[in-house]
Amino acid sequence: MSAPSENAVRVWHYDGASGIRREPLMTLAGQGFVLVENGFEHGPHAFEDLIAQGNVNGHARYGLKNRPGWSVTLIEGAPSALAERLPGSRRYGGVIDRIGLWPAVGAFAAVSVVVLIGLSMLPSVVARMIPRSVEARMGSLMVGDFGERACNAPAGSAALQTLATRMGMAKDVDLRVVDVPMVNAVTLPGGHVVLFSGLLQQASSPDEVAGVLAHELGHVENRDVLESLVRQLGLSVVLGGLDGNVGGYTNALLSASYSRGAEARADGFAIDALARAQVSPKPTAAFFQRLSKTEIKTEGAGALLGYLASHPISSDRERRFAASAGKAAYAPALDDAQWKALREICGSGSGKWKRSRMGF
Amino acid sequence: MDQETTNARAFEFDGNWREFAPIAFTNLLLTIVTLGIYTFWARTRERQYLWSHTRFIDDRLEWTGTGLELFIGYVAAFVIFIIPLGLLNFTLQALAMRGEDGLAALLFVGIYCVFLYLVGFAVYRAMRYRLSRTYWHGIRGGSNDQGFGYGVSHLWKTIVGSVVFGLLVPWSMVSLWNERWNKMSFGPHEFHSNASVTGSLMGRYLLAYLLPIVLFVGVAIVAVLFGASFSGNTPQEMQIAAILTLVLGYIGFFVVLGLIALTFYAAYFREVVSGLSLGGLDFEFSARTTDWLKLFIVNFLLVVGTLGIGMIFLGYRNWSFFVRHMQAYGTLNLDDFTQSSTRAPRQGEGLLDAFDVGAF
Repeated sequence: MSAPSENAVRVWHYDGASGIRREPLMTLAGQGFVLVENGFEHGPHAFEDLIAQGNVNGHARYGLKNRPGWSVTLIEGAPSALAERLPGSRRYGGVIDRIGLWPAVGAFAAVSVVVLIGLSMLPSVVARMIPRSVEARMGSLMVGDFGERACNAPAGSAALQTLATRMGMAKDVDLRVVDVPMVNAVTLPGGHVVLFSGLLQQASSPDEVAGVLAHELGHVENRDVLESLVRQLGLSVVLGGLDGNVGGYTNALLSASYSRGAEARADGFAIDALARAQVSPKPTAAFFQRLSKTEIKTEGAGALLGYLASHPISSDRERRFAASAGKAAYAPALDDAQWKALREICGSGSGKWKRSRMGF
Repeated sequence: MDQETTNARAFEFDGNWREFAPIAFTNLLLTIVTLGIYTFWARTRERQYLWSHTRFIDDRLEWTGTGLELFIGYVAAFVIFIIPLGLLNFTLQALAMRGEDGLAALLFVGIYCVFLYLVGFAVYRAMRYRLSRTYWHGIRGGSNDQGFGYGVSHLWKTIVGSVVFGLLVPWSMVSLWNERWNKMSFGPHEFHSNASVTGSLMGRYLLAYLLPIVLFVGVAIVAVLFGASFSGNTPQEMQIAAILTLVLGYIGFFVVLGLIALTFYAAYFREVVSGLSLGGLDFEFSARTTDWLKLFIVNFLLVVGTLGIGMIFLGYRNWSFFVRHMQAYGTLNLDDFTQSSTRAPRQGEGLLDAFDVGAF
């Protein structure tokens, strides 16, 4: 065995063909190196083909490109002529080693933030790509006719139509009242707006109903419900894999929460519609305030929670409606007779929730 | 050049957690800022550390898998298997909603079978992948069998195991273990596995099997007795006593059942490892129920006590537990210990990741 020289280092070597460990000298040879043992030379190999495999028992270990199982482990300090040709250690993976851990963390975090923002905007983009005809078909599949819970007393329906016309409701919107004791209103895909009878009972003036209706019409106009559906679907795919829970989606639809931006846009739409119809926005503001404060304690807390969950009420929102009130002369959204008719749209005796029929 | 393994322990793990901590924490950080994508590279780094600190006879193991191949394997598995399965599941829900119960039931059974097949296939492929990336003396393991047949075995043996009131579960577990290890090899040698369902193994299984029934009857008797002794007291006290009995019974049930299941699993693992041999080597696994219990309790405390962050050390702890209790006896002739001729798989354990099951 030759003694280690200034351009050679003793290594443990496996050739990847047999399991026998050899102890050759790794020796500089031209631009590369050879492994010399008992007069036999293996190689030459290029330093560029070496792959750092970390430390084994304090000794640096290298593999060789395209030679699985081939390795050399430096069992003594390498002379500098050789050491400076050896590849640097790999720690985190190619890109991260090249730019350093902290710059990489910063870069990844920045990209992730951009990706998350992009993903959060994706639903609205996708929703706007779905044709109106598809949305209409989805809507009519979901809505049905509500059976005996549908409210259509003639005088009430006429009053509802008057209110809708004042709020500038488009012709293709399908507006209905159902006898459900929840203070809520929902917009379904395809321009179906449903007011729950609880809302009519809870409101103290037609102006309040006008404000809520205009808000929902804003959601129709902006196709927010579709965006919300797409987001729910996307989230459930990303978070839970595809569980194919159709019932869950229907449920999610009913409690669909729109994005903050969508709510603000719908409010803006409602404020404009109220102004155009010369209906005061103040009752709507008061309605929101009542919902968020006193009324929860006094009556129908459970029913109110439904509205609160899907329509986050903030004092900002209430203030926005209140601030939009101008000096113009306002007229009530409906006259007394119409308002009485609307409240009785679910039949005589309406004004009390038909709890026995609901079964809860 | 025979390697004698009788004097010292054949397997030894010499890592320490302080050295591992920087790897674990940077892995966690990078995984977070990459929204989870780095997890494949993280696992690779973790394995490189664990493998390189695991000595077998006279040299350490080497992990040559890469993060990229794990990532590609995961993406491929997701596209090829998970998305179609999700769509099938969706179809199933749609059929059920339309009242096509017969078709839906048929499809459900079909999906369940495909799922069972794929789980078996995934476990097999992951084992084959891990062996093919594990080098020792420059020699790797692997298998020439692609695992399609094993998937079929997994399907029918799991079903047969669970009929007859689940009494054949130990048989199906042991038989599947034998089947998959008998298809694996390391270097020129085939693994041989001839584990069997011993009397003590079956005894422990029967204990775990019968315990719920015994406990249920016992709790019922205790409840009746206590109920009688409390009969003179107020209804409130009786109610509290009943609730207390129920809660304690519930917790006790799972603690005791978990312990007995653990005694079965400890015996199962000792049995199947002791049936395993490779070339002239025989393997043993020495962990008893108390060892497993200590592992689980400390793991639990580690995770709970650190609010979940301790999770990053579980892989380390489990591997160290595994290596510390592995033993090998016999001789390995290095002269004919040549490179494996099996075809190395190109992707990682993707399907296994997708299904979230373990390989061993």
